[in-house]
Parts: sequence; C-alpha cells; structure tokens
Amino acid sequence: MADDANILGNFMDDYFVECEEHLAAIRAQLLELERGVGAGTVRPAVLQDLFRSFHSIKGISGMVELREAEMLAHQMESYLRALRQREVTVSQRGVDALVAGVAALERTIAARRDGQPAPPVDQVLHDIAATTPEAGAAQGPDVEARSMDVAPSWRVTFAPSAELIARGVTVDVVRARLRERGRIVDAAPKVMPHGIVFEFLFAGDLEPDVVEAWRADGALAERVAVSPSSAAAESAESDAAESADAASRLGATHVVRVDLARLDELMRMIGDLVISRARLAAALARVERRVPPVEWREVQENSQTIERQLRDLREGVMRVRMVPVREIFRRMPFVVRDLARETGKKVRLELRGQETEIDKYLIERMMDPMLHLVRNAVSHGFESTAERLAAGKPEEGTLVLSSSSVGEAVLLEIADDGRGIDPDAVAARARAMGVPVPEGTLTSRAVLDVICAPGFSTRDETDRASGRGVGMAVVKATVEELNGTISLDTTPGEGTRFVIELPLTLSITDALIAHVGERTFAVPQAQVREVIEVDPTTVRRVEQHEIAPLRGGSLPIVRLARAFGIEARPRRALHVFVVGNGADAVGIAVDRIAGQREIVVRRMADDLIKVAGVAGATDLGDGRVVLILDLLALARYGQSAGTAEGSTKAGSAR
Amino acid sequence: MKEPFILFMVAGTTYALRSTEVAHVEMVEQVTAVPNAADFVDGVVFSRGQVVPALNLRARFGFERAPYGLATRLLVANAGGRSVGLIVDEAREFVPIDTASIQPPASALTGLSGRYLEGVANIGGRLVLVLNLTEVLTFTDPALEAHT
Repeated sequence: MADDANILGNFMDDYFVECEEHLAAIRAQLLELERGVGAGTVRPAVLQDLFRSFHSIKGISGMVELREAEMLAHQMESYLRALRQREVTVSQRGVDALVAGVAALERTIAARRDGQPAPPVDQVLHDIAATTPEAGAAQGPDVEARSMDVAPSWRVTFAPSAELIARGVTVDVVRARLRERGRIVDAAPKVMPHGIVFEFLFAGDLEPDVVEAWRADGALAERVAVSPSSAAAESAESDAAESADAASRLGATHVVRVDLARLDELMRMIGDLVISRARLAAALARVERRVPPVEWREVQENSQTIERQLRDLREGVMRVRMVPVREIFRRMPFVVRDLARETGKKVRLELRGQETEIDKYLIERMMDPMLHLVRNAVSHGFESTAERLAAGKPEEGTLVLSSSSVGEAVLLEIADDGRGIDPDAVAARARAMGVPVPEGTLTSRAVLDVICAPGFSTRDETDRASGRGVGMAVVKATVEELNGTISLDTTPGEGTRFVIELPLTLSITDALIAHVGERTFAVPQAQVREVIEVDPTTVRRVEQHEIAPLRGGSLPIVRLARAFGIEARPRRALHVFVVGNGADAVGIAVDRIAGQREIVVRRMADDLIKVAGVAGATDLGDGRVVLILDLLALARYGQSAGTAEGSTKAGSAR
Repeated sequence: MKEPFILFMVAGTTYALRSTEVAHVEMVEQVTAVPNAADFVDGVVFSRGQVVPALNLRARFGFERAPYGLATRLLVANAGGRSVGLIVDEAREFVPIDTASIQPPASALTGLSGRYLEGVANIGGRLVLVLNLTEVLTFTDPALEAHT
C-alpha cells in the first residue's frame, strides 16, 4: 500500500512538472496569439501549439482525475479547434477568455498541489464556451477511422525497414491488417532518433497469436489503458500537429528531470568519498617511511589522482544543477503584458541570452527579485505614452532582460528606456521617510543604496504593482545572500539599468550548527560520521590527549574551545562530532549542536584569514559571518597534538 | 596633479588613502573573530556579499586597541585583487592632494607605522601620512611567521 501511495506521489510530481511545462508554453503562445490579433494575422502554428498543450493538459489531468483542470483544458481546446477549422479571426474577447481560462487552470492545478479544493471554474468555463461557436460540434471531416466515439484498446507501432519492405510488409499492409480486425482510431508518423515509426491507435480485438505474428512483422501491439474521459476523443487532429507532438516528445527523451534532493544525496556521497580519500592519505603518510620510496610514490600518485577525479566528479554534479536562465525569463512576457495593460503603457520586452546556465537554486531564489525589478520597470520606469511622445521618444517602451556568463559569474541585466531615476526626487523622498541620505546630488550607487534601504518605497503602498511581494531591500539582500552584487546605472530621461552579478555555481551544503561559548559555527554534515553526547566527567587525560569512552572503546577528543582559544564555561554535557572510523576516529567537542540547515559556502580567500580548521564562511540570515569548520583539519590537529611538532596551536597545521 | 584622497584617524594621527583604493566606507557592525589569525586581524565581515578580513589599524601600527565607537569606520580597500577592510577610529573627509607635494617620510617619522608610509603631505598646515596600502596588507609579522 505504501508503495502505491509512493507511486501516486511520484506520478503527481510528474504531473505538476509536466503541467508547468505546458503552461509555460501556453503563456508564450498566448502572447504571440495576442500580437497576431493586433496585427490581424495569426500563424496557424500558434493555434496548433496551443491546441496541443491544452490537449496534453486535458489528457494528463484526466489521468489524475483533476476534473476541473480537464474541463477547462477541454473547453479551451474546443475553442482552438473551432478557430483552426473554421479559420475565423481570433477576437480580443476570445484571447481574454483564454487568458482567464489559463489563469483558472493554473489556480486549479496549484490548488491540487497544495491539497486545497479546486476553485470554482463555472464562470470561466461559461465565458470560454461563449466564444466557441457550437462548441463540440467541430469535429474534423476526417478519415473514417478517426472516429470520436470509439476508445482505442491497442497501440500498434510499426517501424518500417528495408528488410520488412523486401518481405512485402509496408505500412499500407499493416493498416489493411488492422482494418480487417477493427477500426483505426488514429494514425500518425513519429520521428524517432532511428527513423520514422508509425503509430496506430486501434479499437478491436487482437488474439495473442495475432499479436505474435505481427510482432514478427515489425508491428508491435500493446494494450492501451483507457481513461474514461480522455478516450479516443481528440483524434481529429492533422498529422502536422501530431508530428509536432512527436518532435516535442523526441526532445523530451534527451532530458532527465532530477529532483534536487537526489543531487544533494549524490553530493553527500561524494562527501563520504572525500572523507575516505582523506583517510587514505593520512594512512599513506603514516606508512611513508616503512615503504620503499618508489612504491610509496606510486601509491601516493594514485591517491592524488583520486583526489583530482573526486573534484571533477563534484564539479560534474554541480553542473547537473545548472539550468538555463529561460526558467526565469519565460514568465516575464506574461507579467509585462498584464502590467502594461493595467497601466495603459506600451512595452516591448526583449529577452537575450536565455540559454545562459545558472545553478537551479539560484534560479529559484532569483525569481521573486527579478519579478520585482521587472514590475518596477513597467510600473515606475516607463513614462506614460503621452509623456514619451512629448519627450520625443518612441511610443513603445523597450524593456531588455539579458543574461550572459562572464568567467565564473552570471550577469542578469534589466534595462529600460524609461524616465530614469531622478536622484533628487529619491533623496527628497528618502528624507521624508526618515531614511538617511548623503548630502549633494546622489550618484547611481548612492541612489541604489537609498532605494534598497529598508523602509524606502517608491510609491504609495496602494500601488498595485509595487505593493506586493518584495521590495528593493529584499532584492538586494537576496542577491548578496547568494554571494552576488547588484549595481544601478540610471540617467534621467534616458533609462535605468540594473545589473546583477551572481556566481555561476554556489556551494550549497547541509550543515549542523554548533555553539561554543558565545560563538556559532557551521559544520558540513558530509564530514560528520556521528554525533554523540559526552559527560565531561568521563573524559580522561592521557598525555596530551583527552579521551572519552565510546561503546566500550575510547575516542580522542579535540575541544574546539581549546583549539580556537575560546572562553567556554564548563557544561554538564559536551556534544561531539565524530569524524573518521575505527582507530582513526576523532571527536570534536562543542558546547551544543543546535540544529541542521542548508548553508551557502563562501570562500575565505584572503591569506589573512586562511586558518587551519576553518573551511569558509556562511551567513545564517542575520548578516553576521559564521565560520564553517573543517573537522578533518581539526581532527588532524588532535592526532598530532601529542607529538613534539604538534604542541603549537592549530595554526601550525596550515 | 591633484588626486582625491580619503582622510582617516588612527590613534590621533591623520592618514590618507587614495580614494580609488577605497571601495566604500561602512559602519563597523558584527565582526566575527577568526581563531588563530594574525593578532591585528579583528576578524571577518561581509561586505557586499564578500567575506573580507577586518584589519585593526591601531593594532597593525602598534597602538593599543580601542573599543569600537560610533565614529569607528570600516574602509574596504582594494589592492592587488584583494578586498580588505581597515578598521579606523574615524573617516570623514575627502580631500584633493597634489601628488607632487607628497614628500618621502622624514626619518624622524618612521616610527611604528613608518614602513607602511608612502609619504607625508601637508594640507593647509596639517600633516597627513599617506599610506602605502600594499605594504599595510603585506603579511610579514614575526609573530605570525612563528605560526607558519
């Protein structure tokens, strides 16, 4: 049972992802459709693509029994079918109905994802139906086989080959055989990597021996599970649409969707490997003097090769996390369109460099800040049409979103040719709101600092576009949290450009948060084999070492407070991170382990702050630097503490 | 030729750095101590998303440390591809200084901070010590060498 629930869960995840992909395509096509309405010509391909997307959503919604989504998709599909077959011109009213329908569809799917009841869709359905002349009556006058009322029970695929043709088995022969035994509901050629495949949906009975015989002739028959409503219905489509569908399926075969959690799991396993390699290196160092140099060097070189390969592996996994910036950009046309309409402005959106790749986590974090900047640009950046004309500018404003990668960084730019930001107005407004402002005319950088100050807002809160979501303060905080920078370049009368620079990849890792005295540290979880609690009264001193009992054996302990010279009060219990296995195990003792969280690792590159036992820094959200510990280095310190050269502080390990 | 400099105070003496070398000036907020770092490194801070060391110039120049106050500032300076924060007692003025008027430091002036000086400028009767940033950031303390 649990497995069933799990399979359904996975299936629903796939459903949501697939819906999101179709909806993204729909959003893009709707914009195109609307432009077509304005220009008086609609490319048939647009209608086809839209039709196909609705058709797909309808099908998969039927399978997950999300009836509201299925009905919405069906109604919009019907409208599009009417448009295509009657060659009527699309009306603005029709487009509006579709936009409303898509919004309702999004809400419906989101409600299912969040476990909420579906929102009411009757009115929307009615509105779409009202735009569809004789909805449902528009079936294609197609081949006999493309019947609407027969559910296919078999899918028969036939891949022609020279050998089969030589034996006289062609697609016509297969078709004729099928017709003898039932009805062909649908037939479509599909372009597969290895050639063309014909796919027939067939209604009728096939005995096992027939299936066997056909298989020998290169025609594979498999049973089709029929869902009650998606049945045979939507077969009245031209081969063109179907082959386009095939093309999109073809694309899908080259892409694997991976849950970020699984990649994180991979990273954790790589972390384990790194620890094992470190143990190997330590063991090698111990035996160096006992092994003939030539042989030792060979083993040593192998160990170093493994280290390098591990690094490559790690980078490879990080690369898998990279996705095109398109994921952010593709929502923007919709946002711009809605907002431009609301504000009565004319805005052309240009998207550049959508293929630029960036870490998936960054994309997710940057979505809201980018939406904010785009909304700001449309609401505040552009003048009204009348103002633009008066200023001798083109009536239509241009908003450019571009992305490019520069070395190890990705640039995101949001540039408008609007009114620019008036530094004096910003200064005056900031003073009125009690935000500190430097004297004199503000530079672009100072303007940015002021508008990103908490408490500063450009318009009244009632302003719809700026009132929702995040403010500039959050935009800036997010960018900086992601280890990036934001800059502003604005010229009154000419426009505004924000440039966000982000690192190409982020090292994101799970960490345990530890406290020692007044200090807080983060510990990469991958380094920790085990966490134990130790009663300090059981800790014994043996020469330079402190030893705690552990499961009948003993564990050398390094107190972080001592290694780092931190004042810490005696405690009733110590929390100890255990690294290494067996005889190599070492415990790093802290006062308290306070929980686990995902952290962004920032390098501590400067020589002045590179110290043993510290791997980097992170921010837990309050703007303070929290040091990330390198437990392995601390463990080495512990192991060497008894030897003569190890009697200095941990700094000596560097 | 005149160049803009930023003036700041450390232990009662006025120092100057070329403003092109200073990325920005910040209030000193939370400095996180870095264990076992050089004694003149108070710790690290985030500056515009980067982790930068915060050098205590009082300690660097051999003066006694003073607690941070309202006037204490962090000058984030760029040199040789590095970004390093300098903690100073106060930093308020930008002044143009004629670079030709910067004199090599007199031997009497080469006290504790002498080795970090590029020269001395006289601004309206006020003596200002112009810092050699690269030298300030160079890491040659005997105390530290003992660690390495």
